[in-house]
Amino acid sequence: MKKINVVVAFLLLVTMNAVAQKQELGKVTIDELKEQAHPVDSSAAAAILFKKGEVRFDYSENNGFEVITKVICKIKVYKKEGYDWANHAERYYIGGNVKESVSFSDAVTYNLVDGKIEKTKLKSNGEFDEKVNKFWGRRKITMPNVKEGSIIEYKYEIRSSSIGTIDEWRFQTSIPVNYSEFKTYIPEYYVYNVNQKGFIFPKVTSEGNQKTVTLTDKSRNINGRNITTSFSQNEMKYEETKKVYIAENLPAMKEENFVNNINNYTSSVTHELSMIKYPDEPMKSLSTNWAAVTKTIYDSEDFGSELNKNGYFEDDLKVVLTGINSRDEKIALIYNFVKSRVKWNEYYSYYCDEGVRKAYKDMTGNVAEINLMLTAMLRYSGVDANPVLVSTRSNGVALFPNRSAYNYVITAVETENGLYLLDATDKYALPNILPIRDLNWFGRMIRKDGTSAEVDLMPKMISKDVVNLLATIKPDGTVEGKIREQYFDYNGLVFRTQFANLAKETQIEAIEKKFKGLEIDEYEFSNKLELDKPIIENYSFKHNNSIEIIGDKMYFSPLLFFALTENPFKQETREYPIDFSYPHQDKYLINITIPDGYAVETLPQSVAIPMSDNNGGLKYMITSKDKQIQLSVTMEINSAIIPSDYYDELKAYFAEVVKKQTEKIVLKKV
Amino acid sequence: MRRGILFFLLYINSFVSYSQKTDYSTLFIPDSLKTNANAVIRFNQIDITISSQRKMKIHTKRAVTVFNERGQYAIDANENYDKSTSVSSIEAIVYNAFGKEIKKIRRSDFKDQTATDGGTMFSDSRVLYLDYTPTEYPFTLVYESEVTTSNTAFIPTWMPITSYFVSIQKSIINVYYPDNLGFKKKETNFSKFKVEKITDTSTQLSYQVSNIIAQKAESNSPSVITIFPKMLLGLEYFNLEGVDGNAKTWKEFGQWYSDKILSGTTELSDETKSKIKALVGNEKDPIKKAKLIYKYVQEKSRYVSIQVGIGGWKPMYAKDVDRLGYGDCKALSNYTKALLNVVDVASYNTIIYGNTEKMNIDSDFVSMQGNHMILAIPNGTEYVFLECTSQEDPFGYQGTFTDDREVVVIKPEGGEIVRTKVYSDKGNTQISKGNYTILENGDLSGKIAIVSEGTQYSRKAEIEKLKPTDKEAFYKEYWDNINNLKIEKVAFTNDKEKIILTENIDIQAREYGVLNGNTMMFPLNAYNQFSEVPQRYRTRNNPLEIDRGFLDQDEIEITLPENYVIDAKPSNFEIKDKFGEYKTELVVVNPTKLIYKRSFMLNKGLYEKSEYENYRKFREQIAKADNSKIVLTKKL
Repeated sequence: MKKINVVVAFLLLVTMNAVAQKQELGKVTIDELKEQAHPVDSSAAAAILFKKGEVRFDYSENNGFEVITKVICKIKVYKKEGYDWANHAERYYIGGNVKESVSFSDAVTYNLVDGKIEKTKLKSNGEFDEKVNKFWGRRKITMPNVKEGSIIEYKYEIRSSSIGTIDEWRFQTSIPVNYSEFKTYIPEYYVYNVNQKGFIFPKVTSEGNQKTVTLTDKSRNINGRNITTSFSQNEMKYEETKKVYIAENLPAMKEENFVNNINNYTSSVTHELSMIKYPDEPMKSLSTNWAAVTKTIYDSEDFGSELNKNGYFEDDLKVVLTGINSRDEKIALIYNFVKSRVKWNEYYSYYCDEGVRKAYKDMTGNVAEINLMLTAMLRYSGVDANPVLVSTRSNGVALFPNRSAYNYVITAVETENGLYLLDATDKYALPNILPIRDLNWFGRMIRKDGTSAEVDLMPKMISKDVVNLLATIKPDGTVEGKIREQYFDYNGLVFRTQFANLAKETQIEAIEKKFKGLEIDEYEFSNKLELDKPIIENYSFKHNNSIEIIGDKMYFSPLLFFALTENPFKQETREYPIDFSYPHQDKYLINITIPDGYAVETLPQSVAIPMSDNNGGLKYMITSKDKQIQLSVTMEINSAIIPSDYYDELKAYFAEVVKKQTEKIVLKKV
Repeated sequence: MRRGILFFLLYINSFVSYSQKTDYSTLFIPDSLKTNANAVIRFNQIDITISSQRKMKIHTKRAVTVFNERGQYAIDANENYDKSTSVSSIEAIVYNAFGKEIKKIRRSDFKDQTATDGGTMFSDSRVLYLDYTPTEYPFTLVYESEVTTSNTAFIPTWMPITSYFVSIQKSIINVYYPDNLGFKKKETNFSKFKVEKITDTSTQLSYQVSNIIAQKAESNSPSVITIFPKMLLGLEYFNLEGVDGNAKTWKEFGQWYSDKILSGTTELSDETKSKIKALVGNEKDPIKKAKLIYKYVQEKSRYVSIQVGIGGWKPMYAKDVDRLGYGDCKALSNYTKALLNVVDVASYNTIIYGNTEKMNIDSDFVSMQGNHMILAIPNGTEYVFLECTSQEDPFGYQGTFTDDREVVVIKPEGGEIVRTKVYSDKGNTQISKGNYTILENGDLSGKIAIVSEGTQYSRKAEIEKLKPTDKEAFYKEYWDNINNLKIEKVAFTNDKEKIILTENIDIQAREYGVLNGNTMMFPLNAYNQFSEVPQRYRTRNNPLEIDRGFLDQDEIEITLPENYVIDAKPSNFEIKDKFGEYKTELVVVNPTKLIYKRSFMLNKGLYEKSEYENYRKFREQIAKADNSKIVLTKKL
């Protein structure tokens, strides 16, 4: 008997403890304050003990439905590096028709002082409100009395008249999150698309509830000369769906190299309004699938109608196209015409801002204005062109059908040879050579009839970089020679973007800096603006740092200063895919003359080091005859993105590449 | 009549202006100004009118021809404003290459935004700025603005050249001031750039400079502010955010700052006072007392920047900092001073330029200067300086953010110019002792203890704070000369009392020794390679500055694989120059045991530009020696 009692009592204790640990504000314990490090991740500078958000719809007669987001948050600070978590900011919209406000409350810092809990409340002097620009305001708090070991709690509420999207709820962040909960209470009138992403999925539960709102109707009755006002009370009943998302023990997000956008991998849930079903009104569909998303965008004034305008360019374009009949010539001419006529103002959007007409007149416009104008001109000239919605690298991957999945638009021409993708915002871009920002998985093409199709944006073609090097080694170990380097396709785009505007001397100094000990002469590069041709660099050089003379021998890598000496992958493990932007091939054709009085003692062996699944590889071929050494090295990465499963192999591959490329030729005095 | 005309001409010549109808065609730009230039300042005229101690108007008219994207920043069309500063007009006109007007930009086209940067929690300062998308290059933008302010404590410094790769056709400054406010100025580097004085009277000052070719940025150069022309401007009778001031000397300046800005800010509650008294107990030594209090402040507070009105100059009340546990540099310095007061330790707010690039308070120009505040505690004839915004710095440590520069110590009896602690080159040490073993397949395993002091301490203390994954990434970058590196162990010992930081690191690396048939070779210096060689310039324009020196000493024991013999080894190397001394020595203890000794002392110094190439060669030899290899042959 006694034994059982103990067990029961223990169970009770556990349950009670669990209740006490319930995620509410103001329940800070001494044990929590005493905790010196996060139990799972001892390196964490701070952790979110819990963060709970709920989204409700409040109805008022004046404003209709408003979205109320309430968030409570409890944070433990372990180290001084975690002090930034004691500051928090929330922005709110102040431009246009949408009304938004943010308020903070219940903000308290807890400390353990002489074994007792000390509470310090946030007062108004720790709260700031600022106007960021004409669209956004920002409310900030900075918590008082924060030390190592402190616990911080705060609550905030955002009221918004915009029901189009509910703010993204991120379960994960750069510090560990012990508990994250997000609740939505959505009236039957609104249907949202709910999209979850990331590597960790929360548990989801759902239930329906009846809601009643009491409305007061005021009516005026006119009987002859008497006007009376009568009030009547109505009840509005609706069904509300409650959904709860719970995720626990989420590790901190880690930054890695070669990742295009960390938010692609952060666990989160987003909501976008897809349908409105008001009583006694027809259903209004906004975006339930990609077809509906594209239709909504296409039907918008700032997209479809802008695309259909052509009066503003007709006269000019006729001149441009005089005597031109072939489709490809038309594409080239129109593309160049738009590139030279309208400059990009660096604003992204698939919606026009001031409209194509004004952009054309002012010669500056946003992405939509430029590329919808391009599409319209192509169509006007009889080319089958369509806009393609794109999510740029900074916007993350477009995973789920919703309007905010995209932020950009380009142009596609459907041809018998496949698609030509065009983006006229970058003066160095070409058909199918898009600015790097566009290269992000899939886009969506919208045809004239409103149908749409997925478009693969990742380049398939391999962009080459070819180096021809002719070198002579002098008896004192210096190397002299000539180099010709050609940058094709995407390599040309990257080169032009970086260097086309630099003074020649600055450009030379940049190369000399990259290759220690190199002295460059007779430098020139061509095809700066002949975009369909590769950039060609020619220069002669002198290098005194690639040959080592030890005793009566000379040691050097036949790749000289081009040898890859460092593995770009240093991390032990990898979480996210490796993003190379575009497939590429680097090719070196090298011819070295060795000095008189020396002979080749050892030569590295020719090898091929392939990666599995045709991901790429190295080919290294070397021969020598008399005073001549000939080397051909080809390195390929065949796909723009390589999944993280291949990380170990990729790292090992690069280690082999470094080893091979740094392997030495030995010359011996004869 | 003739006389009259002459008089009239003289009169209009007494100030300079560029108001005639100008042709903005780019054809008129001399070729010399196009070399290396991303933009040309066609003219830049700044008219500063000080009408009283509390009113100043700054009128700017500037035309900039931009050749390409990289020249865009030279337009610099923006104005800050706040409660005491307003922008009365701001506008711009754009002309194409032929001088034809293509766009008018009105005030409403300028963006209006808060001027809070990433590090500032809150500031009531805002900025109006132009965000113009060029439709063609080259183009010329003519910008005109007028700003009115009551803050006469800050008269803009005139710097005709503010950036590299921008040439200047003409730059003009006119200052008008009453003769009773004690107007003053200080010029530097004027003759080198042929700055012409047009007028200098008791109420008016005019300068101009013409045809300055675009300057190129060069590494190891002194700071821009010390090599280009600069004119400081100030008043003896000034106003700071509504508070009048007057100071002819640093003594008077310090008295004013103490009386008007600092007084009444150091009160504390009785509870805090008794807490501090209890904390200090019976300690009598002022420096030991200060150590206890500094530690208390470091544990209690954090740095948050809040810049509101005079709060930008006046510290928050100490009792607020006491309750909130945060503040900016002024608030935290002042709070520490208040706590020290309680236990009768004297300390003084100290105005400084805080930056890793050293910059002095201009001691012979009494005015509001500086961007940071620290605290000075007298210790005999010297001062101990405390960085109160750091929760980590050892007591009295200056690091590289506040070392070796002139500052103003604000004492109630008056201000005083003092130099902060100078860390000697020989004191900035990194002493490494370690070993590594090479196996017959070339694999390396090793251990090293690196002890850092002086300015080298601060760099290492930053690493200690990193997360384990970032530490690992750091060492993999630091030793990028070792491929396939694995960091096995990292441990830090931070002796804040002596200000010595020790790193203990164990590493492993596959194939450090590169095998070629029967031979194996590897660089002996695995742990401390100085591979960086300063860039070569075809023509060097700037002097060479090495702003901090150091001394590195390494002693590494190397164990070779048993079945190899030494085929060739680098000879001992020594180089002595005005820039420093470098020496390596290899001791063969037995056929498989070597001791590699290396020492490298770099001297702080400022040298003529002609010395740059010598310095580059000096570093090149060191880079080469650091990378020299030993060759082993397999025993047959």
